[in-house]
Amino acid sequence: MQKFLPSLVMAALSVALTGCLQSEQQDEKVVINKNPYPSTYQVLPQQTTLIKNATVLTGTGTRMDNADVLMVDGKISKIGKNLSADGAAEIDANGKWITPGIIDVHSHLGVYPSPSVESHSDGNEMTSPNTSEVWAEHSVWPQDPGFEAARAGGITTLQILPGSANLFGGRGVTLRNVPSPTMQGMKFPDAPYGLKMACGENPKRVYGSRKVLPSTRMGNMAGYRMAWAEATEYKRAWEKYDSDYAAGKNPTAPVRDIELDTLKGVLDGDILIHNHCYKAEEMAMMIDLGKEFNYNSGTFHHAIEAYKIADSLAENGNCAAMWPDWWGFKMEAYDMVHENVAIVDAVKNSCAIVHSDSANTIQRLNQEAGKVMYRANENGFDIAPELAITWITANAAKSLGLADKTGSLESGKNADVVIWNQNPFSVYAQAEQVFVDGAKVFDRFDEKYQAKSDFLLGQK
Amino acid sequence: MTNFKLFKTSLIALALASSTASFAESFAITNATVHTVTDQGVLENATVVIENGKVIAINPEKITADNTIDAQGRILTPGFIGSMNQLGLVEVGAVSRSRDAADKKADITFDASLAFNPRSTVIPYSRKGGITSNVVAPRGGDDMFKGQTFVADLSGEFNSVRVSNNNVVIDLGAKSKGSRALSLQHLHQQLEDATKALAKAKKKNTKDKKEAKEPSRKAQVINALLNGDKALVAYADRATDLLALLKLKETFSLDLVLVGAADAVLVADKIAAAKVPVVMAALDNLPGSFDSLHASLENAGKLTQAGVKVALTVDGDTHNLYQLRFHAGNAIANGLTRSAALASVTANVADAFNLDSGKIAIGKTADLVLWSADPFELSSKVSKIWISGKEYSTESRQDALRDRYTSKSDMPKAYVK
Repeated sequence: MQKFLPSLVMAALSVALTGCLQSEQQDEKVVINKNPYPSTYQVLPQQTTLIKNATVLTGTGTRMDNADVLMVDGKISKIGKNLSADGAAEIDANGKWITPGIIDVHSHLGVYPSPSVESHSDGNEMTSPNTSEVWAEHSVWPQDPGFEAARAGGITTLQILPGSANLFGGRGVTLRNVPSPTMQGMKFPDAPYGLKMACGENPKRVYGSRKVLPSTRMGNMAGYRMAWAEATEYKRAWEKYDSDYAAGKNPTAPVRDIELDTLKGVLDGDILIHNHCYKAEEMAMMIDLGKEFNYNSGTFHHAIEAYKIADSLAENGNCAAMWPDWWGFKMEAYDMVHENVAIVDAVKNSCAIVHSDSANTIQRLNQEAGKVMYRANENGFDIAPELAITWITANAAKSLGLADKTGSLESGKNADVVIWNQNPFSVYAQAEQVFVDGAKVFDRFDEKYQAKSDFLLGQK
Repeated sequence: MTNFKLFKTSLIALALASSTASFAESFAITNATVHTVTDQGVLENATVVIENGKVIAINPEKITADNTIDAQGRILTPGFIGSMNQLGLVEVGAVSRSRDAADKKADITFDASLAFNPRSTVIPYSRKGGITSNVVAPRGGDDMFKGQTFVADLSGEFNSVRVSNNNVVIDLGAKSKGSRALSLQHLHQQLEDATKALAKAKKKNTKDKKEAKEPSRKAQVINALLNGDKALVAYADRATDLLALLKLKETFSLDLVLVGAADAVLVADKIAAAKVPVVMAALDNLPGSFDSLHASLENAGKLTQAGVKVALTVDGDTHNLYQLRFHAGNAIANGLTRSAALASVTANVADAFNLDSGKIAIGKTADLVLWSADPFELSSKVSKIWISGKEYSTESRQDALRDRYTSKSDMPKAYVK
C-alpha cells in the first residue's frame, strides 16, 4: 500500500490564534480533505409538476387513493386530494400508482458493467484481504447501459459497492441514476460513504487458495480485528495531533494512510458499514465486532439467514438487505426462505431491505419485493403494498444514511418519484415515468426521455 | 388479468379431497378453465380425465373416473417445462462434490443422466413454479460438444429420468481464447466427414456383404445428428453464428435448436423460415457481450411475431428455475401474447425437444398444474400439481425452515421439526 506524505494534502487554517499563548511556532495544520472527488451532479431540467388521481404509496407505510403529488423546485411539496398549483405541468395518473424512487443498496453497475469485458472488470481489487484504500467510485464506468435499464425500472438512487473477495473491499459510492459522462456527475451530493466488508466463504476461498490469511472463518475474524486495532491507533494518533495543535503545540502530523483513513472514517461515524454476510452466526459476530471497536455494524447484505436472528438485528440497529429467492449457489446461501424479508420486517424497529446485486434484477426490485409479500401472505403474514414498498425505498434510504433526503414522499424530501402503470407488485407492472429531484429522467412513451449509453449508440 | 379470478376458499378442502388419487386409479378434473395449448385453445368449465398417467378424455359425455376433483373454475395448464439447466446435477453451486454437470474430459458422448439426483432439494422447490419436467443440459468440458441432454420429471422418484441422451449440446460463439471460426469449422468438417463415411460404408456394404466395422461411439452420435435421431442444440448469440448454424442445418438436414440467441431478432425471418426453435431467457436484456448487443425484453415477443417458435428458459443458476412463470409474465408485459407465453413454457419446449408433454390432449402425459389464479402473476401459486398423473406436493426444505423459525417455542428452534 502506498503511503502518502502529509504534505500532499494540506489545507491551511487560519493561524490567527489571538488571545492564545503560543509556546512554539506552529506549522500549517494538516487537515485531510474528506471529499476530494466531489459531486458535480446537476438536477436535470425540471418544472413544477402535479401528478393527479393516483394510488400513492408514500414509503412511510401509508397508502392514499385518488391522491395528487405536487413537486416544486425538485422537492415534494404536497400530497393530498384535489391539489392545484399555478403553472404546474399536470399529469393525469388515474389508475396508476406512485411510489418513491426505488433505491438499490447493492449494485455493481459501472464497476462490473455490460458488456462484461476484461477491460471493464473493475469491481474486486483481489490483491489483498484488506483493501480499504480502494474506492468503488474510481472504477465506475458511467456508460454502463445497465444504468439506463435500471432507470426504466424506477431506480433513482443506487449504491455501487466493491466486490466481496476481501475482508475489507473498499469504499462504496451512492449515485443518482442520471446519465453523465463522469462519476462525479452522478454522485449523490452529501451521501455518506459506505465501507464494504465481507464475511464467510469468499475471502477465505480467495486468500486461502493463496496460502495467506484468511483461509478460515476464524482467519476472517482475525483479519478484521487486526485492521480495526490498527485503525484505532491511527484515529488516536490523529486525535492527539489535533488536540496538541489546538493546545498551541507544533506536533508532527501522523503519516497519512489511505487505507486507515477509511477505517477511521467508520470509527468517526462518517462512513457506514455494508457487510456482505449471509449466515446468522457470522452476523452475530460482526455485531459484537462493532461493539468491540466502537462502531455500528451497519447493514448486512445478502443476509440469507437474517430470519434466524431477526430480534437481534433490530435490537442492535442493523439493517438487513436480502433477496427474495436467490439460493443454493454457495453453502452459505443454502438456508434461504422466501419469507426472510417479512420475518425480519415483523420485528419492531427493524430495517428490512430488498436488494439486487444484479444488473438484471435491479430492473425489477418492485417485483422482487412483491414476491416476498405474496409468499409471506400465503404463510401467515398480512403485508400490504404500502409496507412492502418500504423495503425498496425508505429502509434502503436509511441504510445509506439518506433518510432525510429520499426514500419517501414527504413534504421537503427530494422529489424522487415513479409513476407505475398499475400496482407495482404485479409481474405486469412497468414504470412509466421516473423523476429524480423533480426532473423527468425516464418516460416509457416519450423517446426524448430515454437515454442511451455512448456504448450502444451507432451499434448495428 | 381480469379473466383470472382468485378463489380463496376451499384450497385446503380441495387438497384433502384429492389426496387419495393415485397412479393406478383414474380421476377427473372437472369445472376447470383448461388451457390446452393445442388448436383447441381454452376450454371453459371443462373436464379432463386421467388414467395410467395419461390424459384419456377431455370433456367426455359421461365421466367415469374413480375420483373427481372440482377445479372451481380455476386454470388448468400443462405442467411447465424447464430446459437447458443442471437440475438434479448440482445441489450447491460452490460445493464441488455436489456437482456432476461438468467434466473436463467430457465429450459428445457425455451422458450426465447417470448422475441425476431426484432427491435434490431443488426439485420440490421448483415444483412451486409449476415445473413438472425438465430438459437437463450438461456443461461438458474443454470440448465444444458439451454432451447430451436428458429429460427428467420433477416427481423426485428414483425413476424420474424419462429419456436420456436425446440431443447433442454444442457451445459456439465468442471465445475467451482462440477464434469462434475454428469451432464452426470443426463442426462442419465432422458433419461432412461423417456424411462421406456413411456414404462410403453404404457403398461398401452393397458391394461386399462383409460386416462393416462399427463406427466409434463419437461417430455414432454424429451419425445420429445426420439421420435426425438427435437434435443439435447449439448455444450461440451473434447473428453470424446463428446464420452459420442455419446453413449447417440446410446442408446436412439437421434438426437444430438455437439456445441463447441474444441477437436472433436481427435474423428472425430466416430462423422462422428454417423452422428452428429458439430457447431464450426472456429477461436477458443487457448487452452482456459484443455478441448480444440487441438483447431486449421485447425479443421473445418480436421473435414470436416473426414466426419463430420460442421456448423460454431461466438462465444462470438452476436454483432459480421456479421463476420460469414470472419470466413468461414479464415477456407478456413486454409484448408476448398470453397464449404464446403459455406455449413458450409448455408446448414449444416439448416440440423443440420432442417431448410427450406440454399440451393437454388425449394420449399426452398427464403433467398438469391447477393454479390459484393467473399462472404468470407474482401473487398466484400452484394449487395442485400432477406428474404422470400422480399428485405431488410443493412443500420444500424452505418451508420447513420457515415454519421452524416462525414457530413459538421455549426451547431452541432445533427442537422444532
